[in-house]
Order: sequence, then structure tokens, then C-alpha cells
Amino acid sequence: MNAQALWPRVRHETARAWIIAEKDIRIYYAKPPVIMWGIALPFFMFLSWSVGRNQPTGALIPALVAITVFFTASSIGPVVIPWEKRVHTFERLLTAPLSLPAILLGKTLAGVVFGVAVAVLPLVAGLALGARITDALALVIGLLLSAGVFSSMGVLFSTLPGQNVGSVMMPATLIRWPLLFVSGLFIPLSNLAVWGQVLAHLSPLTYANDIIHAAMGGGSYFHPALDAAALVVFWTAFLAAGLWLHEMGRQKGL
Amino acid sequence: MTHAIEVEGLTKVYGQGQRGVTPVLAVDHIGFAVRQGETFGFLGPNGAGKTTTINILTTLLLPTEGAARVMGRDVVKDSYGVREEIGIVPEISNIYEEYSAWDNLMFTARLYGVPRAERERRAKELLTVFSLWEKRDTLSEGFSKGMKRRLCLAMGLMHRPRVLFLDEPTSGLDVQSVLAIREIVRRLRDEGVTVFMTTHNIEEASQSCDRVAIINYGKIAAIDTPENLKATFQGMQSVEVAFCDECDAAALSGLSGVREARHFGDKWRLYTDAPGMVIPVVVDWARQQGLTIASLNTLGPSLEEVFVQITGLALPARAEGEGQRRGRGGKGKQQ
Repeated sequence: MNAQALWPRVRHETARAWIIAEKDIRIYYAKPPVIMWGIALPFFMFLSWSVGRNQPTGALIPALVAITVFFTASSIGPVVIPWEKRVHTFERLLTAPLSLPAILLGKTLAGVVFGVAVAVLPLVAGLALGARITDALALVIGLLLSAGVFSSMGVLFSTLPGQNVGSVMMPATLIRWPLLFVSGLFIPLSNLAVWGQVLAHLSPLTYANDIIHAAMGGGSYFHPALDAAALVVFWTAFLAAGLWLHEMGRQKGL
Repeated sequence: MTHAIEVEGLTKVYGQGQRGVTPVLAVDHIGFAVRQGETFGFLGPNGAGKTTTINILTTLLLPTEGAARVMGRDVVKDSYGVREEIGIVPEISNIYEEYSAWDNLMFTARLYGVPRAERERRAKELLTVFSLWEKRDTLSEGFSKGMKRRLCLAMGLMHRPRVLFLDEPTSGLDVQSVLAIREIVRRLRDEGVTVFMTTHNIEEASQSCDRVAIINYGKIAAIDTPENLKATFQGMQSVEVAFCDECDAAALSGLSGVREARHFGDKWRLYTDAPGMVIPVVVDWARQQGLTIASLNTLGPSLEEVFVQITGLALPARAEGEGQRRGRGGKGKQQ
């Protein structure tokens, strides 16, 4: 395809991706698995960690925002894609005039919107309780990139075998859960053992939490620009891996 | 370009090159062509390769070997172009049940890039044709199976495809929905749309299709018009007779010219190579036995019988010792 034909095609595919995202937003946001795995779970996990700890609100809110965007954005892919495969509506998308990357971009966008929209709630509540934003640009960039990374991570999870939401979401949660403990959310990175610090570098949640902390005056372990760059790398890697695995599964008729 | 679909040496092997997986040959070097505007039936028993073929033609699967083109576009090299030309109605009605009928059509139209001005006009037209206009704002999860099927068909036609793939279009539907869908297929043919239909319903294929292909064990076993296929099996001609009284089945089988007698409901079907010769024999025999003939017809082989003959499937189970059963004919006028 020459460059002249490429741009209209990219515009066309992006527009179709948004149409898919819109549909997912309307249909799937209110589905019980999304509410349970994407909102209730992080909320109660945060409560169990924070209740009884004598920490200022300013220290708690960035972690809550990071946990929220992590769980909400990564819950859309593993719920929506197996659901659509089970009821065969995913085939409808695959046989429409758009590419697999456009379909997965649509699914990712639905996760991004969900992650950002839900994460704004604890952020607003935190601001009302005295938390403050010291770098609005870093916060916006951090939230968007984090939502993108975790949403594409959800799309990657959705390649796990099975058309049942539970059979995909359970292993996905088993992968998500340990990341909480090596990403500086509950234990500051500087207090982790050496092996923990090594693992922390491999977790995208580390950089998401770090940049949100930096944006809310909580100090940071890495420079925010490095956090943003790491998130871009993770996003690209998850999208590429998700695309490859979906294509493989498609050829096997999964 | 006179052909809407062209298939050459198409082959699909599942599990090829996968460790620990025994490869399965699903489609074995098949070839056929479907003319533009033709309604083409693709028949075969379960596991014969129908769905694999349709999945390759609709770009859901890559073939292992061979080539296929839809409206001149290669399904592998130009899958995007193929998807612009086709509409698909899969066996399972894959509508969005959380959406109303109207929203389902609007979503489909946007996905296929139907211009805004055209969308609403087309949706109204299709909902009216499919008798769903009154239910346009109702969530489709509450629809009956037939209504969901009709909505799925409407979604497949929303962007005015030039080739429509129908996978078991009337499977499990009530008579009203079957007749409605059959009528739609007839109209599509009038509009010049090419219809590629897989079905288990032989009668459906016989009534709706210009030509049919029969696939068995991944290979095309026969391809022709329904009437030509039937004519190939003249040995399956029969005389169908119903008596008002009980009769001796063994005697019927032994009549001159009768190869086999089978019981179907209240009738007997006497298979013969010469129906014209058997008719007077049956009439004479009935008179001698004091039986009243309720009806008497000559029959060519049905497409179902042709299908069974070609695919080597077992005929519908006959009761043990059926040939010895005594049957009672229905009421009717003697012919």
C-alpha cells in the first residue's frame, strides 16, 4: 500500500475502532463481571490495605488512583472479548471491512475510557479530602498512558484459552495480583529487597504508580519522563503481543 | 467477470505443524465457481467441510493450499476487499442482544461505512421487509429465535453486499420465519445478489437454489442443478400409493417391476425403473385383493435421496421387518 492510500486507510480504521469502543462502552460497562473485577475488587482491596493505617490522604490517593486505573482498564479486554467470542459477535467484527489491529484498538480504547473515567472518581474525592496536584500535565499523561498500558494488557489476557469470562479472568487476576506487591504501591520501592526491586522494574504498574505519585507531590523513584517512556514501551509491547496471539488463535479457529 | 465466487484446489488442514496435534484434513482440493446473481447451495453432512469452506471464503480462516476469489478479490491477498463485498449470516444469530433492532442496524451500518443519510432509510426499509419495524426500539434479547434470525439477516444486508453467505438460514425456525426467509432469498436473486447457502435442509436447497454442490469428506461429490442431480438417479424413481385398507407389504414388494417397497406414513413407495409399467400392476393387484386405492402418484428421486445416495449416508431408520408390516391407507379419491 502506497503512502497516499495509507492515510485514508488509517483514518478509516481509527474511526471504525472508535465505533467498536463506543459499542463496548454502551454494552459492556454495566456487565456484572466488569463491575466486580474492575471496580469492586480494587475498591475493597484498597480499603483492606488503608483502613487502620495512620497515613495522610496525600499519600493514599495516588496509590488508590493507580490501583483503580490498573484494575479497571485491564478488566475490559478479558471480559468483553471472551464474551463476544462466546456469543459469536467477535466473528461479526472479524468479517467486517477492518483489520484485526483496528478491532483490538477499539477494545483498548474502551478500556482506556473506562480506566480514566473510574480513576477520576477517587482523584476527585482525594482532592476534596486535601490531596493536591503538583504537575497536572504529568498526571494527565500518566493516567492516559497507564490506562493504555493496562487496557492493552487486558487485551493480551483475553488471548488466554476459553470463551468463558471466568476462565479468562481468573488466571488474569492471578497475574495482576502479584504485581501489586512489587510495584511500590504498598511497600516503597526503596524498601524492597534487591530481587523485589529487580522485579519492580519489570512491572508496568511501578511506572504508573510512580508518575501519578510524582504528579501529586508524593515524590518519585524515577524521573516522570522515564516513567512515561517505560509506559509507552509496555503499551507497544502488549499491543504487539496481543495482536500476534489473537492472529495465531484466529488461524487455529479459537 | 462472470463469477462471483471462484475456488481452485482449496485445501484446509487443521493442526498442521502443531506439536502433539494430529492434522485433520477438513477440505481436500475442492474447486467450483458460482455465477453472479446465482443462488448456490452447499450441502453436506456434519463435518463434511461446509463451515470450513465458508470460513475461508469469508476470510475468517486462511487456506492451507489453493485459491479462492470473491468478486475477483483474493481471500488471502485482498481479504479487506473481500469483506467489503460480502454479507454474512452465520448459523448462530450473532446480534447484540443488549441493543435494540434499530441500534443493531445502526452499528452495522457505521461499521461498514454506510453514509449517514442512507443508514436510516435502509434500516427502515429492512425492518419493514423483515416485519420488525414495530419492534425496532425493543431490546433484541427478548426476540424469538425467528425474529433474531430475521434481524441477523437484515444486518447482513445493511450495506447492500453483492455476495451474501447464509449458513443454515432456516435451521430450527418456525414455518412463518422459514417462508419469510425463503421469500427474501428469492427477492435477493431478483436483485442480482449472489447467495451462497449452506443447509441441511435438502428441500430448502431444492426450492431456493439454482445449483447445489454436495461436499462429503472434504471433497465435492457432485455439483449441478437440483433437477439434473435428481435426473442422474433415475433408478430412484418410484410409484407412491396409499390404500384405504390394510395391505400385505410382502406382496407389494413382490409385484412385477418393483425393486423395493417402503412405508412412508400412510403411503407405500414402490421403487422401480419403470413406473409406467408398475402402475397397472398395482391397480390390478389392488382390485384382486379388494383394496381401494386412496391415491397413486409417480415420483422422481427427491434431492434428499440423491444426497443420501451421493454421501453414502444411511437412509432414515426403518423399523425391523418393515417389509412385512401391514399399512392402512388414508382417505382420498382413487386415481
